[in-house]
Amino acid sequence: MAKIEIGHGSGGRLTKDLIEGLFLKYLTCDELKPLEDASYIDLEGHRSAITTDSYVVRPIFFPGGNIGKLCVCGAVNDLVVSGARPRYLSLGFIMEEGFSLESLEEILKSIGDTAKNAGVRIVTGDTKVVEKNKCDGIFINTTGVGNVIKPLVVGGISEGDSVIVTGTVGDHGIAVAIAREEFNIDSPVISDCSPLGELLMPVLKIDGLKWMRDPTRGGVATVLAELSGHSGLGIEIFEDKVPVREDVRFISDMLGYDPLYLANEGKALIITSSDSADNVIMTLKEHTLGKNAEIIGNITSAFKGVRLRTRIGGERVLDLLEEELLPRIC
Amino acid sequence: MDKIKKLVQHISSLVPSDRKIKIMNVCGSHEHTIAFSGIRSLIPENLEIVPGPGCPVCVCPESDILNAIDLSNRDDVILVTYGDMLRVPTKNGSIRAEGGNYKMITSPFECLQTASSNPDKKIVFFSVGFETTTAPTVALLEMGVPDNLYILSSHRLTPTIMEVLVKDAEIGIDGFIAPGHVSAIVGSNAWNVFSEKYNIPTVVAGFEPDNLLMGIMDVLWQLKDGKARTSNVYSSVVKPEGNLQAQRLMDKYLKVSDANWRGIGNVPASGLELRDEYAGKDAKKVFELQEIKEDRIPGCICGNVVLGKAYPSECKLFKKVCSPRNPKGPCMVSFEGACNIWYKTN
Repeated sequence: MAKIEIGHGSGGRLTKDLIEGLFLKYLTCDELKPLEDASYIDLEGHRSAITTDSYVVRPIFFPGGNIGKLCVCGAVNDLVVSGARPRYLSLGFIMEEGFSLESLEEILKSIGDTAKNAGVRIVTGDTKVVEKNKCDGIFINTTGVGNVIKPLVVGGISEGDSVIVTGTVGDHGIAVAIAREEFNIDSPVISDCSPLGELLMPVLKIDGLKWMRDPTRGGVATVLAELSGHSGLGIEIFEDKVPVREDVRFISDMLGYDPLYLANEGKALIITSSDSADNVIMTLKEHTLGKNAEIIGNITSAFKGVRLRTRIGGERVLDLLEEELLPRIC
Repeated sequence: MDKIKKLVQHISSLVPSDRKIKIMNVCGSHEHTIAFSGIRSLIPENLEIVPGPGCPVCVCPESDILNAIDLSNRDDVILVTYGDMLRVPTKNGSIRAEGGNYKMITSPFECLQTASSNPDKKIVFFSVGFETTTAPTVALLEMGVPDNLYILSSHRLTPTIMEVLVKDAEIGIDGFIAPGHVSAIVGSNAWNVFSEKYNIPTVVAGFEPDNLLMGIMDVLWQLKDGKARTSNVYSSVVKPEGNLQAQRLMDKYLKVSDANWRGIGNVPASGLELRDEYAGKDAKKVFELQEIKEDRIPGCICGNVVLGKAYPSECKLFKKVCSPRNPKGPCMVSFEGACNIWYKTN
């Protein structure tokens, strides 16, 4: 009998198959159909965006953040990349009997600080406790609501548009992998986990902005492969333009990871018309979180799917994340 | 970039227009660089760069994995091995799916810690791979291992299998890119047999795209000259004589034996097992392991892929039922397996 595998939570091909093959069979409505990270909803005339996410990251504390900071950033960023200003969050906690109160306090402090920093208010919550060994320390669910500033839909993308990434890719994936201590490596890499509102709100005002997404699980490559599938357009990416920290590249090589498939928690992919791309880059670079922003490729109708122009000028295909690289990365 | 362009131009000018040239790489990391940097997209179509038996996980016999699964299911044993080995499919599933007590390691020296923290258990190190992974295993033995540590050796010899490939006319190899890491141990002189006895150009290369392209160019030069040499474009790491101390230790602890290769069968003098004086450390002897007949995986052509007789994309299972997530054959498992690499880059 078919069972849930760890890869069903990878954000890659298996997740897509599960959602499209099973979830949508029973649950479907116009708002859900685009299958974006947040949905647009109408609340008596007010256009809003809503998103939900659960956090099961292991370990709970990692360089650059913890599950608390992560859960706020995740919800906030899903709203921001949907062109919405994040307003309210809910928090649902599932905790294991025996979980340290000191750790919980540290997590709550992070949640409070990050929410304040991101300009969102936590307006409702829930706590549940399960018996020892029935969950792994603490899991958190967040739902976020924001008001829509500029709705961004895949349909607006066209040939010739530019693909931008707001900074170095793969930092979160490597920081969490190393924190697991499965590999005997000391590394200076810290997670990029950050709320993106301040960075991206000015970008929303730029004419020519088409679409945004935060490349979390499955990384830049998986988001682009999905985008190509949904839009029916091809995407060409230039490997030498993709910013990757040198230590992230080195550790990735050692562990057999591809930074393009590693999770990010403080980066966005932006599709914008080519004539507005320089303006977007300039606007991003005004903020510290955007100082490494780069145009990494373009949208084309010459082929379908995503093709990477490699550093040496060769070519290879980028598809959805196939293997579960790091389960429970967020 | 300019260097790469020049290399590619020169390579293109060296490829004859009237026939195919087939150069085999014998190292998973070489195949990785070739595929991930898109080298095949830069060179003429009639210059084929084929992956050979360069992935240790791919050629490890099913019998050894089945025995490892059984060992891990004994109450008194902890099986330790490299991560990729845990996922290799057999007729009875993988170690990860069907095994009991097993632990993943990234270096053989982690066995010592497992052995000392589990004094009441027998620790079996399932040690697989070519000369590159054989060296640290014998270094471990030389350091002196605890009484409760045993070795299940599935080590294989690269030069021997390459000679099998050369003799197989169906494959038709014009030249070899010799494996960089293996060469660091055995030395570039170990490949002289191919140029001297079989007139097959053989070039030791490293793992950067430009170094590999230089290796390919060198093979093409030699083919043009009609006179094969063994050359080395990775001399910063690989010496003609190799790592003599590693060779000495390998000879001290291990002896050459006939060995099975998955999908290929028995190859005389192609494996390494513990010498009789170390039989007390040999898991095959201590646990009286029997050879289990290999079952062919229906539809799987991993055997032919490893031999350079077929590309992964020619397999009926490839990208249909066989994927890195759900590998049906051994070449789809490891980051060094040809099918795994092709899945992600084609």
